[in-house]
Amino acid sequence: METSAIQGLHMVGVYHSYGSTPVLNNISLTVPAGELVCLLGPSGCGKTTLLRVAAGLERLQAGSVTIDETVVAEANLQLPPEDRRIGFMFQDYALFPHLSVLENVMFGLFRRDKAAAHTRAMDVLGQVGMARFADQHPHMLSGGQQQRVALARALAPEPRLVLLDEPFSGLDTDMRGRIREETLSVLKQTNVATLMVTHDPEEAMFMADRIKVLGENGRILQAGRPADIYYRPASEYVARLFGPMNMIDAVVTQGKLASSFGIMAAKRAAEGQVVRVLIRPEGLILSNGAGAEGGTPVDVLSAHLLGDSSMVRIQVREGANRGEEFQVRIAGAFDLTEKGQIWAHVDPRHVFQYPQD
Amino acid sequence: MVEITRSYEIEVETIDSDHRRLVKIINEITQALDDKREAECARLVPEFVTLSKQHFAREEALLAKNGYPGVEKHREHHAALDGKMDTMLALAERVVESTAARDALRKELIFFLMDDVINEDMDFKSFLMDAASRKGNSTDG
Ligand SMILES: [Fe+2]
Ligand SMILES: [Fe+2]
Repeated sequence: METSAIQGLHMVGVYHSYGSTPVLNNISLTVPAGELVCLLGPSGCGKTTLLRVAAGLERLQAGSVTIDETVVAEANLQLPPEDRRIGFMFQDYALFPHLSVLENVMFGLFRRDKAAAHTRAMDVLGQVGMARFADQHPHMLSGGQQQRVALARALAPEPRLVLLDEPFSGLDTDMRGRIREETLSVLKQTNVATLMVTHDPEEAMFMADRIKVLGENGRILQAGRPADIYYRPASEYVARLFGPMNMIDAVVTQGKLASSFGIMAAKRAAEGQVVRVLIRPEGLILSNGAGAEGGTPVDVLSAHLLGDSSMVRIQVREGANRGEEFQVRIAGAFDLTEKGQIWAHVDPRHVFQYPQD
Repeated sequence: MVEITRSYEIEVETIDSDHRRLVKIINEITQALDDKREAECARLVPEFVTLSKQHFAREEALLAKNGYPGVEKHREHHAALDGKMDTMLALAERVVESTAARDALRKELIFFLMDDVINEDMDFKSFLMDAASRKGNSTDG
């Protein structure tokens, strides 16, 4: 049997290069139907190329692409995009300005007779809450409404795979949150396989059942649930994707790493090796006393309220990291008028060790 | 149903037959979940995890024996899956009472199998095939 029985997208052993510059290096991935997989990486990491290879907008150079039961690309076979049953929402794939909302959505339904296309287009516009705008033109709609129509247009032909390329980047922060929630809920109802590209870790965390982190060399650095990527980052690079990190370099001594915050067991490192310890700002906890878990006395240098949390700068008073500064994220505002010694201790869930070469 | 297809084969029999055994258990687990026999996960999921670990060890030994330069990296990849296997074991204990755990387990199993176990092995497929043709015989054993 040639194809996989798991419905969805299967890309196996995909290489791609522009001239002599490799952009994708032996990428394999699976997106089961009903699941959303995010490719997360910096610009230039090849994530958009991978999407274009899946779509057939870029010729496959090596490997294979299967959608549901159909091989759509492999050596000597390249189905054109329109024969792959894919829905697109790309940055540069705007609505047609001269067509109405309804006509935009009907555009991909040219294979159906007019009445059936009309019914289907109205159904899917209803699904995204845009049925009453059917006769309007794109310029009369807000950015968020245009985005909903774009989603309806992508889903109207009942694709087996939806490809999203930074679909919300044109929206302002308020609207982005709402539209991505709506988009996710519509995609889940549709039970379609979705592959999305983003450079925004928070967006990937929100949308994805599984995140694949791509590095600059066109290789997958880590794949997992958002929780795996956040709580078990495989490398310093992945750990740092989610914002600022506190850093301590410590030497393994008798299997242990010493810091002002206490002694921890060294993981996967040899005696005498330098280990980089990263601590998320939310992984440092401030309190008025030493507490049961120990910790270290600190001076608070500054505190900035960011909304529902604050970023507090502290300086360690004692031990191996005496005089070093750290960033702490706390819920709510920090009370600078509070008297008494402040102590900091670490939440081990936010501490990561990376042995250095 | 999951089926291993030709494009997912490494073309080394010991590895491919391990992968097929893992696929078989996943299918038993998803079938049990479909048929409301969730209680069987308490036996099947630990079996899957044990078999996965045995497979990783076997695969690492085979890669080392064939002088695959990325063997250490692949070993680290396998080691990094411990957390995911712990998650699956924990979910398996909750599938009887929790719909969310059931859905999460099904999802985890499929992604683990297709992405973490099989897709990642594509890294060494061409190396082992070249090694076999250099030696003019099988890389197995
Ligand atoms: Fe394997
Ligand atoms: Fe492997």
